[in-house]
Amino acid sequence: MSEITLRNVCKEFDKGHFAVKDFNLDIQDKEFIIFVGPSGCGKSTTLRMIAGLEDISDGELWIDGELCNYYEPKDRGLSMVFQNYALYPNMTVYGNLAYALKIRKVPKKEIDERVHKVAKTLEIEHLLDRKPAALSGGQKQRVAIGSAIIRKPKAFLMDEPLSNLDAKLRAQMRVELAKLHEELETTIIYVTHDQTEAMTLGTRIVVMKDGVVQQVEAPIQLYNNPANLFVAGFIGSPSMNFFDAYVGEEEGKVVVYLGGSELGKKVYLRGEKAEVARQREMNKKVVLGIRPEDIYDYEEAKERGIHMDTQGLEETVSAREMLGAEVILYFDAQGKTNAVRLSPENQTQTGEKIDFYFDTDRIHIFDKETEENIYYREEIR
Amino acid sequence: MNTGKKKKLNWTPYCYLIPCMLVFAIFLFYPFFKTIYLSLFLTDRMGQAKIFVGMQNYIDLLTSESFRQSLKVTLIFVVIVVIGGMLLGLIAAVLCNKAFPGIRAFSTAYALPMAIASTSAAMIFQIMLHPTVGIVNKLTGLDINWLNDPDTALICVAILTAWLNSGINFLYFSAGLGNIDETIYERASVDGASSVQQFFSLTLPGLSPIMFYTLVVNIIQAFQSFGQINILTQGGPDGATNVIVYSIYRDAFFNYRFGSAAAQSVILFIIIMLVTLVMFRLEKKGVSY
Repeated sequence: MSEITLRNVCKEFDKGHFAVKDFNLDIQDKEFIIFVGPSGCGKSTTLRMIAGLEDISDGELWIDGELCNYYEPKDRGLSMVFQNYALYPNMTVYGNLAYALKIRKVPKKEIDERVHKVAKTLEIEHLLDRKPAALSGGQKQRVAIGSAIIRKPKAFLMDEPLSNLDAKLRAQMRVELAKLHEELETTIIYVTHDQTEAMTLGTRIVVMKDGVVQQVEAPIQLYNNPANLFVAGFIGSPSMNFFDAYVGEEEGKVVVYLGGSELGKKVYLRGEKAEVARQREMNKKVVLGIRPEDIYDYEEAKERGIHMDTQGLEETVSAREMLGAEVILYFDAQGKTNAVRLSPENQTQTGEKIDFYFDTDRIHIFDKETEENIYYREEIR
Repeated sequence: MNTGKKKKLNWTPYCYLIPCMLVFAIFLFYPFFKTIYLSLFLTDRMGQAKIFVGMQNYIDLLTSESFRQSLKVTLIFVVIVVIGGMLLGLIAAVLCNKAFPGIRAFSTAYALPMAIASTSAAMIFQIMLHPTVGIVNKLTGLDINWLNDPDTALICVAILTAWLNSGINFLYFSAGLGNIDETIYERASVDGASSVQQFFSLTLPGLSPIMFYTLVVNIIQAFQSFGQINILTQGGPDGATNVIVYSIYRDAFFNYRFGSAAAQSVILFIIIMLVTLVMFRLEKKGVSY
């Protein structure tokens, strides 16, 4: 059992300057929690506060029902994997793996057994006699993870553990981490700025910006139901397309006018989306967001029966990326580049014009001032 | 086509070496060989070689009681100076490795001995250790004639030398500590290691390359200490601080036995060389990187 609770945790560096502000989170046993956000958003600081490497300026940290604010790092029963691996350069791989056990005065025989077991799991048995300087990045990574799991801690803290690896190795280690989490059945708190890692590994994702938690949700809810403009833009690749727009009414239908002109580009809303927009944003400026995969060409739009929902969205393709399983077309609108993900049958080339159709059931509308998603619904857990 | 071309000696690189080699030749190689040459002769008062005696100077030295005493004194002196100087430097460097207000003032203070001339430091110590007006006796309430008691004189001189050497050691160790990755300490503290355990399992091994270098330099430096002994004790009382370098100085410039002094120099050279060689052998085992 390991439950970690953060209550209004703050980190204040200079007077009045907060790196982390009012961080609240309940982490359940065996969860894989991801802290994600742009650099400088306070995710690493939060992790280091949990580890005990940074003081907590304000708030409470509870681990398994114990208030741990003032516990030394060694007394918190956690283990940590660092971004640069932090292997002890003077010790062999064996020494690195065994260090934490040696300090806890575990009998030599047991240390030996556990080191070999962990080394076998991570396929580093043949490296046990080597010094860290003689290891490749991926091998160092395995040793770092090995020295964290050998101790059977209450929870693992991982600070961007894959960011120093090349793309291929990163993908491979990502899969192995997921497997490891299943095997170990331990809570993991994982910091990353890579949203692919966040989406694939996490059971829940904590999105942070400027030291403030924006949204805590399971990956798919986060993707489909972003709380605000920042989360919507941060999660997903290519990221969500945003258009300045305003909400109006035409013959009883709720319409979103893209670019603020009543002539030209229109998106007709229906059902619940229309009702919420009518109540909250009628005749107001908004930001319309739609993901690249929710925009279609005429054939697909007709197939899906959504070809009547939008009007006049004819755009010139500014770039075309053929990815094999899909093709991504880029077009410029309102001074921004937008992306559309289509099936590879679409043959529109750069410079050619194409009509786009939005799946209006999948659009998001953000209040211009608060940047909140008007369709956001808090998940009840 | 060029197979028949003869290799021509290119003199240019050697020309670049001339200025440096000239300085070495005048101030290093010539005195070195002259010393060996002189050690085989009896000399006049002007230091001119007069009578060839072969190894007699060496035989006389190795059988003389006072030279053996001098060797023993030198050894004790070197041990105290090296251990004391390195410990002081290391402790100061570890203490100053954390950021806290006033760190610069402390760092400067610990590095300061490096900038003090050994003679002026010796003169300050002379006053501090003075049996009647010295602050040491005043503070401790003791009544010891530190520099004239054969039991304490060597220790006093050695401690002064250790303190003088600690400045440069502090600098070396500070640089060495700066090279140790900060995150391994963070990992160690999460792993559960106390600061003492971290010091012995991470800091010391991390410092071992620089530690070795410092040890070699300190030993050589300790063997060659002269100024402070000349000021404080002149080798006395009763030869208690008569380290080899001082003994060489006395033989040459008081007794005018340049041959014997030269022979002592050669022996000192051999000792230092052997110690250094042994240490370089041991380095391969002791330095962990």
